[in-house]
Amino acid sequence: MARLLAVAVRRSVNAFVTIIGIICLNYVLVRLMPGDPILSQCPHNAQYSASCAYDYSFFGLDLPPWQQFVIYLQKLFTLDWGVSYTTHQPVASVLMRALGWTLVLVGTSTIFTILIGMAVGSYAALRRGKPFDFFSTGIGIFLYGMPIFWLGLVLQFSFIKNSFFSQTFSWWPVLPPHNYYDFNNPNLSIVWVWDWPHVSSALVHLILPALTLSLGTLAGISLVMRNSLIDVMTEDFVLTARAKGLNERQVLRRHIFPSGLPPMVSLIALDLAFILGGAYQVEVVFDYYGIGWWTINAIDTQDLPVLQFIIVIGGVAIVIANLISDFILLWLDPRIKIT
Amino acid sequence: MGATEVVISRPSVVSPFRAQLTITGRRLGEVWHQILHNKTAMAGLCILIFFVFLALAAPWIAPYGPLQPVNDAPALSPPSPQHLMGVSRLGNDIFSQVIWGTQVSLLVGVLAAIVASVIGTAVGLISGFVGGWVDDVIMRFNDIVLSIPWLVLMIIVAARLGTIDLLGIILVIGLTGWSVTARVIRSQVLSLKERMFVERAKMVGSSNTHLLLRHIFPNAFPLIFANTILTVAISILSESVLAFLNLSVRQNISWGRIVAEAQKNNAMTIGNPGWLIIPGLCIVFLVFGFYLFGYALDEILNPRLRRR
Amino acid sequence: MKSSIHDSGGASLSLLEVKDLVIEYTTQKGTVHAVDGISFALDEGEALGLAGESGCGKTTTALALMRLLPHNGRIIRGSIRFRGKNLVTLSELSIRRIRWKEISIIFQGAMNSLNPIRRIGDQIAEPILLHEGVEKQVARRRAGDLLEVVGINRNRLRDYPHEFSGGMRQRVMIAMALACNPKIVIADEPVTALDVMIQAQILELLERLKRELDLSMILISHDLSVMAETCDRVAIMYAGRMMEYGQTVDIFTGPKHPYTQGLVGAFPDIRGARTIPESIPGAVPSLINPPSGCVFHPRCKFAFDRCTDHIPSPSAVSGRDVACFLYPEVQEVSPRLVEAKL
Repeated sequence: MARLLAVAVRRSVNAFVTIIGIICLNYVLVRLMPGDPILSQCPHNAQYSASCAYDYSFFGLDLPPWQQFVIYLQKLFTLDWGVSYTTHQPVASVLMRALGWTLVLVGTSTIFTILIGMAVGSYAALRRGKPFDFFSTGIGIFLYGMPIFWLGLVLQFSFIKNSFFSQTFSWWPVLPPHNYYDFNNPNLSIVWVWDWPHVSSALVHLILPALTLSLGTLAGISLVMRNSLIDVMTEDFVLTARAKGLNERQVLRRHIFPSGLPPMVSLIALDLAFILGGAYQVEVVFDYYGIGWWTINAIDTQDLPVLQFIIVIGGVAIVIANLISDFILLWLDPRIKIT
Repeated sequence: MGATEVVISRPSVVSPFRAQLTITGRRLGEVWHQILHNKTAMAGLCILIFFVFLALAAPWIAPYGPLQPVNDAPALSPPSPQHLMGVSRLGNDIFSQVIWGTQVSLLVGVLAAIVASVIGTAVGLISGFVGGWVDDVIMRFNDIVLSIPWLVLMIIVAARLGTIDLLGIILVIGLTGWSVTARVIRSQVLSLKERMFVERAKMVGSSNTHLLLRHIFPNAFPLIFANTILTVAISILSESVLAFLNLSVRQNISWGRIVAEAQKNNAMTIGNPGWLIIPGLCIVFLVFGFYLFGYALDEILNPRLRRR
Repeated sequence: MKSSIHDSGGASLSLLEVKDLVIEYTTQKGTVHAVDGISFALDEGEALGLAGESGCGKTTTALALMRLLPHNGRIIRGSIRFRGKNLVTLSELSIRRIRWKEISIIFQGAMNSLNPIRRIGDQIAEPILLHEGVEKQVARRRAGDLLEVVGINRNRLRDYPHEFSGGMRQRVMIAMALACNPKIVIADEPVTALDVMIQAQILELLERLKRELDLSMILISHDLSVMAETCDRVAIMYAGRMMEYGQTVDIFTGPKHPYTQGLVGAFPDIRGARTIPESIPGAVPSLINPPSGCVFHPRCKFAFDRCTDHIPSPSAVSGRDVACFLYPEVQEVSPRLVEAKL
């Protein structure tokens, strides 16, 4: 047990160091990279010139770089992240809310992805070489290489009113293509309120984005699951299990799956950055106000305060998610306690 | 009684380099033979050859240049016999754009993947081979880079580099895509280091560079190669995303950009759905081709995935 | 105790009788004739050794006995009689009941044969729970007893395989193999991956278990010295066929088949003359395209014409079975069978 604790502590320290690294890298990326320094060149639009002055005083842009760094760190940890140019709201609250939206999106689609992906992958591994395996792997590779933004667009236009499909099939559902704010609906306001009209609207509007993200990442999981299971199935201890007289289902349940799962968990964790990248694209296509949407928006509108801290949020979220998956792995695989 | 006589032949004296070349050649021949018989690999290869042909023959196949204004049809016209995919907002023939786009995608994809692969392999080899604190530092840095959503990383780097030309975009994707390769190569190097033959070579007194070049690198090469092919697929995807966000090459038009324009101009509702769908399908199929080939190659080089 | 497969006499007393077993593998490169007509028998309380170079079909035979061949392997012909039943034609359900309960197996390289993420106590108890339906405590107690039999402290039940050394993992495998008190234990290269000191310990353990539990064993190895220690009878295999089969003592002191002579001669005698042992020239043939006639003839220094065209069938010579035309008593494989092969 003590060993388990020691490994857990070591992993946490690693994560902490990584977060520190992200914070520094974030600073470097936004300030010190060669090329067009966003900071020293104010947004050209006249209405932002006032914000320019704000920028200077807030970030101390006239001070030497190392002092700017200190200020940056101060602001970061006290959650004093300034005010967004575009919405004139505190960046911290904007980003936290955006993070919430993104988590909802990524959360729902990941649950769906894991369930279906694991099922398909397992079935394909068991029916190796048979038609199901062949087709599901082929479709999987096909989907895996699909740019998520394109998939989103196609889905968007497939479910819109008067789409090709809804005209051909009377039963084809119509799904809303954008975020929850439907200006035709008098019950909704653009400012979020926790009441039923808003929640139900949000849920319905979540369907397409979540579906897109799911389909885009499902393929990866199912392929990994299949390969992981096949790797296990060729192991010697599976032969031992069969030699003991266990039937196929028992061998699967007691020996193959428990061994096939841990590598998959770790591979999913590594893929998180990829999943988040997909989420960003989905948010842009569907006008879904999560972290991804805000990132692109901040770059387009040169909304510096938002930009400065949005990378940290994304990176830290991934590190924490990786840490959690590490802990899950520790719990699942006793061998890891040694390394 | 015809006892069989066993004749021991003297091996001819050949330089180690020639020997290595012959062995490598033979191995390559084996692998090529297996590729030819592997349906997946051949399918992928066919797709790739198709697109390479399109890219190379673009100047002759495409009726117009990618940004050349056409005179015989108004902007945003739907498909017609003269303009198979219609005309864009700026008055360009979309069909030509799609064909020219093949060049950008392939060029950027392959070159960026080479950049990423070279950097990643070098980092992975050094990190795995040298070990110690160098390994720790490099891997920590790698972790950090991997933790930042690649899209954000790419966007920031692209936005910073200002005017995007071909070289620029290649560097952007290459410089942000090395992390996974480095990690994969490193773990391969680590497991190779454990193998006995390395120990023995060390005992004989080989220098470290000899070890690296002659023993570890050749053994890691199949993995490097298969990994590079998959990296190409990812690079093409990355480029399309960047193009969609208007951060890619400006002089030539890329498929992602065509899709973005299609979306901005409501292609679906003005009667030109192909504008949106076809460039997307091109990306899908090109990437599919690389994945099929890379996947099949991985199976060939990693026998465990084959039926036992 | 019978010395030859043809020595049946009255009722057959053998526990296990294999006759004319033929096993093939289908691979991308062609059909591999892994086992090409083997016959042998195992009596109660006897230890039979299956010896031969790597790839001669020993492990394939062992797997076939428990119907554990991989997907691309198939028993083409032959019978495996165990307690009156032919294991080749038995239903899947019946075979599963026999597995481990009547016949168990200790695999080559116990390192990978144990599930790394389960405690060894669970793994030993698993077949007990499966075949005998007892309660968990009972099964666990039995598992502890088994560990003690093989010389491991019973409080190591809760440990994982990676916490044991190679030799101890082999003992765990042995304990696991004995879990359901099987009639026959097959040991496939039980000591190959271990160092000499541990080898001796394991062999001694097997010897002791055989005596105390009246076990019947099939010991598979390429190392003849291992056979000499523990086996009563020995079968020498080469390229999927039986070369010589008889009492260990007879075969070691006076090998008849040229291949056996080569194998036995490869061991320097500690009391004998100081000469360099002769090795058998050449290499093991491809099993996809085996040589015609006697499968050993390309490497045999006594080979003559008949050896190239006709396949010798193991026949009784001086109290054991030999498959070599050097001995006039040796018959050919009957033409009917030969045609069936083609």
